[in-house]
Amino acid sequence: MRRFWRLLWDVLREISDERAYALHLARHGVQHSPEEWRRFCDEHWPKASRRAGCC
Amino acid sequence: MSTMIPVQPASAQPKPRSSIGWRILWGAVAVLAAFAMGAIAQSRGEAVNSMWLVVAAGCTYLLGYRFYAAFIAARAMTLDNRRATPAERLRDGHDFEPTNKWIVFGHHFAAIAGPGPLVGPTLAAQFGYLPGALWIVIGAVLGGAVQDFVVLFASLRRDGKSLGQMAREEIGKVGEFIALVTVLLIMIILLAVIALVVVNALKDSPWGVFTIAATMPIAIFMGLYLRYARPGRVMECSLIGFVLLMAAVSGGRAVSQSAALAPWFTYSGVALALALIIYGFLASALPVWLLLAPRGYLSTLVKLGVVLLLAAGVVFLRPELKLPAFTRFVDGTGPIFAGRIFPFCFITIACGAVSGFHSLISSGTTPKMITKEKHALSVGYGCMLLESLVAIMALIAAASLDPGVYFAVNSPAAAVGGTPQAAVQTITNWGFPVTAGQMNALANEAGERTLFYRTGGAPSLALGMAKIFSSAEWNRGLIAFWYHFAIMFEVLFILTTLDSGTRVGRFMLQDLLGQVWPKLGETGWKPGMLATSGGIVAAWGYFLYQGVVDPNGGINSLWPLFGISNQLLAAVALCAGTTILIKMHGAKYMWVTGIPLVWLVVVCFTAGWQKIFADAPALGFLAQARALQAGPHTAVTPQLVFNARLDAGVTAVFLVLVAAILIDSARVWIAVLAGNRKPATTETPFVLSALPEEA
Repeated sequence: MRRFWRLLWDVLREISDERAYALHLARHGVQHSPEEWRRFCDEHWPKASRRAGCC
Repeated sequence: MSTMIPVQPASAQPKPRSSIGWRILWGAVAVLAAFAMGAIAQSRGEAVNSMWLVVAAGCTYLLGYRFYAAFIAARAMTLDNRRATPAERLRDGHDFEPTNKWIVFGHHFAAIAGPGPLVGPTLAAQFGYLPGALWIVIGAVLGGAVQDFVVLFASLRRDGKSLGQMAREEIGKVGEFIALVTVLLIMIILLAVIALVVVNALKDSPWGVFTIAATMPIAIFMGLYLRYARPGRVMECSLIGFVLLMAAVSGGRAVSQSAALAPWFTYSGVALALALIIYGFLASALPVWLLLAPRGYLSTLVKLGVVLLLAAGVVFLRPELKLPAFTRFVDGTGPIFAGRIFPFCFITIACGAVSGFHSLISSGTTPKMITKEKHALSVGYGCMLLESLVAIMALIAAASLDPGVYFAVNSPAAAVGGTPQAAVQTITNWGFPVTAGQMNALANEAGERTLFYRTGGAPSLALGMAKIFSSAEWNRGLIAFWYHFAIMFEVLFILTTLDSGTRVGRFMLQDLLGQVWPKLGETGWKPGMLATSGGIVAAWGYFLYQGVVDPNGGINSLWPLFGISNQLLAAVALCAGTTILIKMHGAKYMWVTGIPLVWLVVVCFTAGWQKIFADAPALGFLAQARALQAGPHTAVTPQLVFNARLDAGVTAVFLVLVAAILIDSARVWIAVLAGNRKPATTETPFVLSALPEEA
């Protein structure tokens, strides 16, 4: 059951882009900060907004 | 690079379990599926419990997944976990990243689940619950899930390439061009038709308009909160947004009952259409972080929550299906949309059974996240089955309404009469008794002024959901809250598709026009951005306006157009899939994608032909134009005639485009099968995976 909740939490983190942000921090080797989050948003969201959501 | 496909050794093929217990278990599932299917198919004249439908669908999905999908994976695709996927080979920690199978499943499902599987089955219930239910289940198992799975597999073996790129490389440049133009046209029709659903849901509904208007400041607050107050706390921010949203739904009642406030939130269809057009333009031009992204998070989480809630409601409360298995409207005289059960049932339900749009997601981000090839089975095939189940739940919600109520809500005035008395008389004469008093009482319960002529599917779906939720003992008397909660959910969901779709459409238009004038292709060039945003919004805005002023309610002409275009995109994806399977195995497994392809081509071309040339003005666009010209002239007659001809032209363009890609594909298939062309594909060479099985 714990594994299930853990997985559900991970799915929510994926949908909320928190996992993508964690990868961003790891890729750049930096810690979380407001500036870093804004940098992530400015890189990630314009790209994500080019993908079609389904009907 | 061009390579031959390496054959997977027999030892690497999956070994099916064959113990007696296992066979008995699957035999029992098959018997249960057949029994439940028989129960819903043979029932006539009495209410059927919806659990039969859920059991029939669930067991058929299990059988399809366990046997048919596993067969395709092992034989046609030769999925091989030893082969490194693009996520492993091209890992960059950004786009390409090996990800847990179930996280990819959640990501993919959130991307493919849109308003289509909710609205389409609700509209198709005009034929009765059985045709739609059978098409949703069988269409998904043999067509939709196969398409999603094959495209995902093809992209996995080609560095995560898009459908357009694969169509160009496997079929030719014509394929890529057609895929691009078809997607752009579908986008325009899709945005118009879902905007029309929103307009019809919010027309003359102060409660609904207030709730949806409140989502804008809530989203902007979330955007500012995330950027400046608590950067990175997306889930915390979404939770706050959700609480505010619930407060807005509750507060809507007070607004609708206030003589001072209600007029501020009461709008006609034309005014709402104009507001949506302005909103679409602003949303596509505003910074993403301010509105689009926070609303996207909120909408996705609410969407998943409501889907789970609806599933729990159906399973625990087991509503009865009150609509008959078949209605008299299988003959094509239906009030919601014109056309016989064949082909229009299969056009009306696109998402939920077969959706071409899914091929864009299956060849988008998903293949770049998959760790092992065999995960494509649960992600590609499994997610579509889940979406199909959502469509079944929506059908149950609609079919659990009294048939008279269902038709009174969904029929336009032109079909049933312009007054409530005339409408209930017409509907009762059809054999679905309903009274004006019953409808008024229901409208009062739902907190609406009227529920007559609320076409588009969203209000009847919301009513069905509200009835199911409020049938629980602890929930009685909350129909109004649940109705507006469901409306909020549907509209929020649709607006998210609308603003992101407008943005995506703008980029696609820039890509296309950039080939003629490169400056227009630069996404950072403001005049180009504004011009292309304006172009896309004007295109879907025109079709929306056309739907709003259409005396038949708009859905009758626009929804079939959307269904045809979506299914034709599926035909393009299946053409690419068939080409790849022929190049891999010759003719041996071409039927896997060939059968759904043939079915869709027959359905779409029949529907397209009828929509253009049928003699009945309610069905054929050209006949409608002729009837309008021959009838009494009003100020809007020339515009209505032009609209009907435009719709005929758009349908014809769709058919010509897909005929071209079919001919182009057939040319490649014949050349490969006749041995005139080397069956080389653009599959990337085999690289041994270094990742463990369960990464």
